[in-house]
Amino acid sequence: RLSAGRRRHRERAAQGCPPGDGGSMRCQVSVLYFARSAELAGLRCETLSVPRRLTSLQLWEEIVKAHPRLAVIQDQVVFAVRQEYVLLGDQFLVLQPGDEVAIIPPISGG
Amino acid sequence: MDESEDVPKDFIKLKSEKLSVDEVSELVVSPYCGAVSLFIGTTRNNFEGKKVIRLEYEAYTSMAETEIKKICRDVRQKWPSVKHIAVHHRLGVVPITEASVIIAVSSPHRAESLEAVMYCINTLKASVPIWKKEIYEDEYSWKENKECFWANSEK
Repeated sequence: RLSAGRRRHRERAAQGCPPGDGGSMRCQVSVLYFARSAELAGLRCETLSVPRRLTSLQLWEEIVKAHPRLAVIQDQVVFAVRQEYVLLGDQFLVLQPGDEVAIIPPISGG
Repeated sequence: MDESEDVPKDFIKLKSEKLSVDEVSELVVSPYCGAVSLFIGTTRNNFEGKKVIRLEYEAYTSMAETEIKKICRDVRQKWPSVKHIAVHHRLGVVPITEASVIIAVSSPHRAESLEAVMYCINTLKASVPIWKKEIYEDEYSWKENKECFWANSEK
């Protein structure tokens, strides 16, 4: 029989979070870049480790840390998190390992 | 007549090959419908005095298809008599004057399909994650639909 602490450790590992993360609770998400944001970041997709629980603005700041050239389009982009649009701001996100986060510059279909 | 044999369908396709008006109209034709309404978006050769050499489209494909499905669902709520809806959008390079998007809607009478087609293209421009790049002689530009609520409106 495991102690409560050892059980929690195993549960966190099973959910894709590294054991011993001390409660910072980060996870790996797939970040997709499109149009101008792909040109500025220099790539179309990557896996990033980000905090699981954060505002959409904090998520943007994490991504800009990885790709500082993206800062110039901050006023023009929104996210799509699990394929739902999210404005950059106070909206609170709870991310799951493997979630898709897309940077969405102003659209021009049709 | 037994209408259950002509179940309303949505035909959504994003593809790099040339679009066909015949193909898209034939998808929505129905013996129960007296009207097929069409919108074709074609590529123009100029923008603000600059010559456009060609256009290139890219998409967040899985989400674009989902958003177009939502548009179709909304169309059916607003115009319940609409029978079939087809939305074909081209991706990649689109030469000038060729179609970048074709939308077709069928309905028993013409008012609903005409209104639904207009709703489809207007909503597509506001909500579907597809991007157009205009290539000029010396530069290029990522376009921004005025319908896009998060676009920078001052230029």
